[in-house]
Amino acid sequence: MRVAVRDVLGSQQFGLTAIIVLLGIVLTFAAGSHTDAAGVTHNNFLNSYTLIQVATDASFFAIMAVGATLVIVSGGIDLSVGAVYAVAGVTMALVLRAVGPVSPTATVLIGMVTALGVGLLSGLLNGAMVVGLNVHPFIITLGTMWVLRGISFVSSHAESILVPPSLMMAAKATLGLGGALSPIPMLAMILVTIVGSIYLTRTVMGRHIVAVGGNPEASRFSGLRLGRVQIGVYVLSGLTAGIATFLGASFYGSASCADANGYELYVIASAVVGGASLTGGKGSAVSATLGAILIVMMRQAIRTMHLDQNYEWIIVGTAIIVAVVLDRHGTTLLARRMARRATKGVGPADARVASSEAPPSVMVS
Amino acid sequence: MIPSVECVGITKSFPGVLALNDVSFSAMPGTCHALCGENGAGKSTLGKLLAGIHRPDAGTITLDGRLVHFDEPRDALAAGVGMVHQELAFCEQMTVAENLSLGHLPRRRGFVDRRAMCERAEQLIAEVAGADAPTIDVRRPIGELTVGQRQLLQIATAVGSGARLLVLDEPTSSLSEHEATHLYDLVARLKARGVTLIYVSHRMHELFQLCDAVTVLRDGAHVATRPIGEYTEAEIVRLMVGRTVEGYVRQWNDTLLDHAAPTAVAGNTKAPRLTVDRLSSPGKFDEISFRVEAGEIVGLAGLVGAGRSQVMEAVFGLDPAARGTVRVDGEAIDIRTPHDPMEHAIGLVPEDRKKQGLVLGLSGRENLVLPTLSRFASATLVRRPAERTVTQQYFSRLRVRAPGIESATVSLSGGNQQKIVLAKWLAANCRILLLDEPTRGVDVGAKAEIHALIDEIAREGVAVVLVSSELPELLSLSDRVLVMRQGKLVAELPRETNQDTVLREMLQ
Repeated sequence: MRVAVRDVLGSQQFGLTAIIVLLGIVLTFAAGSHTDAAGVTHNNFLNSYTLIQVATDASFFAIMAVGATLVIVSGGIDLSVGAVYAVAGVTMALVLRAVGPVSPTATVLIGMVTALGVGLLSGLLNGAMVVGLNVHPFIITLGTMWVLRGISFVSSHAESILVPPSLMMAAKATLGLGGALSPIPMLAMILVTIVGSIYLTRTVMGRHIVAVGGNPEASRFSGLRLGRVQIGVYVLSGLTAGIATFLGASFYGSASCADANGYELYVIASAVVGGASLTGGKGSAVSATLGAILIVMMRQAIRTMHLDQNYEWIIVGTAIIVAVVLDRHGTTLLARRMARRATKGVGPADARVASSEAPPSVMVS
Repeated sequence: MIPSVECVGITKSFPGVLALNDVSFSAMPGTCHALCGENGAGKSTLGKLLAGIHRPDAGTITLDGRLVHFDEPRDALAAGVGMVHQELAFCEQMTVAENLSLGHLPRRRGFVDRRAMCERAEQLIAEVAGADAPTIDVRRPIGELTVGQRQLLQIATAVGSGARLLVLDEPTSSLSEHEATHLYDLVARLKARGVTLIYVSHRMHELFQLCDAVTVLRDGAHVATRPIGEYTEAEIVRLMVGRTVEGYVRQWNDTLLDHAAPTAVAGNTKAPRLTVDRLSSPGKFDEISFRVEAGEIVGLAGLVGAGRSQVMEAVFGLDPAARGTVRVDGEAIDIRTPHDPMEHAIGLVPEDRKKQGLVLGLSGRENLVLPTLSRFASATLVRRPAERTVTQQYFSRLRVRAPGIESATVSLSGGNQQKIVLAKWLAANCRILLLDEPTRGVDVGAKAEIHALIDEIAREGVAVVLVSSELPELLSLSDRVLVMRQGKLVAELPRETNQDTVLREMLQ
């Protein structure tokens, strides 16, 4: 039991949650309160409207960060998610405009299938090129980032396209919470995070992603199909971008070629703040979402505390570096603790060998 | 006369291995001194000590009468010791001239002085290259040069920086006949200039042609140092062998009855478990054919670079260029990726467990079930309890000493890591196991356990191909020994064979 408690306390998710809660407490005190017409006092931060607003802001790129985490864990990188978001949103809006007025259910279904389908195909394109052309994913997705963004410009004639109101009604459904509260994006974020987390830790494919990212050579020697794993992660990354754009375009009522500009960096930042290692083999869907929430809360903090908006970039940029350095430092400490535990567990003869071992040169002379 | 180099009582151990034990020898200036020994005798280690790559645990090195201590290769270089490695390290995209001046690029007004750099490179090459050697354009990228030319450059760099002692580690192992003759000429010229050479090679005729004296090592211990003229080839080979068998000795009598019988019975038409038929891969190995019966251990002997590992990898679907037929129980199988041989219960324990065998960041459990993960899944989710049960089972069967099945493999000792790699394929219920150096870098205790395990799985009917650079290991475990030399299968020897015979086939 004590071990379980220690594991939870030492886990990365706990650390992130603690920082988020801490920041929330600071914001609650810093934000102050106001009194509404009815004479009830409300805290300017700790109220259901602001909290759901923070979650909604986070949800669009947290969903994509879950996909990006899969790519990063596999040892790759996907810079095109912002562009996929735009092209899938624009396509969805154009398709719905072409279809014309249909029943609300049909509208939602057609919109969803289009957005998710375009996201999936874009991911497939990325994956197929990374594997088929054997070019570094940074370059491939840098290219598709501009190509897809360009396609969304051309096809939308650089105009914002309205989507049918039934979509907004669906995305802003209050689900009985009343008032201006719309929890759908937040719930979608939670759902995608849970599914992503189960996928990465509990399915065969997810475990293969971790192994390939950790050591592609050893994975190949274990009979894993590297190409299939690589294509898979880009498809899933595209799919999460499709989900995000379906929610985003519905929520805001329109899609434009300029949507999600620069989101790829927020998405990667979320995954990295969440502890994903850019060298592969390490990362968590839950942590990526927590990372996204943390970044949004820092933005919120600037607003709540009435700081100059222009400081946002400086603060977010600094926070990313600090987070990653802390995470790396934490890993070193953990490794040291583990090594100590390892030497305690085995006999003295083995402990000596555990420290290092003979270089191959000894045997090949 | 003062020896150019004198080693006294050199001892060097790596965890689990005593690489050199109280080795003493000396070489006179302007001579070529051969270092002989089997794979693992300690030749390369001795060379690396001289070049400052390793530091001795005990003993002294004297150069021209001066006691020296090297902490780093640059200290050795400063003292006039250069080493030409088996793997030639250069920056591929940079030009010959840049590579030769790396670390001390000539500068003029803050910029690299290209002309001075090229002149210096040409001068360096002219000093070591013979008149008949093809000229090298120092402005070309080094990647365009042949292996022989690169070697020449490495020697030129060493001599140019004032090396009086040059260690050549298997210099001809990757050269063509023609390139080798250039190297022989170069060695002669260097000797004439008073440079002392330490020459590590397996090729006997070279040693007799080039060297003045020979030092033989065996199991890290010094056996003899004599003028080479006092020996014949056969005598040197005899001095090299005779390593002691440590650890496990196979119980022949039991196993003979078990698995030699099926093939011995007349009229038995049962196909062998594994048949490899005319397997070739351009530039790696050529027309390799052999068969392995169920329950048989076939040893594959050969020098480093003879192509043993490459054959193993080709059978396991890791070499897309490989051509030939692989049959399991007489049925030809289509091998494109490792997935295909795995379908037929073939497993490979690779040579380099850290790079190829394990995902070091993952736990013992995650590594152990990696090849067979889908067997643990129901309704797409992997069943953790089933994984744990199987991992526990193999951890206790192989006596893996680890804090637990969840501890990261990176923190385990070499022997325990290797046991997990073996367990991966045992858990996959392999009927054919390809073992490539299964005890490399493993401590003595774990080695004996792994030997016993190999015997045990063979007795259970698994067909085993064993690649090992340690002849005693190979001979104590194998039912038959195949010998590879320069990509070809050159001999098949019965298990009664001795180290002397195998080594002679390996060297020739």
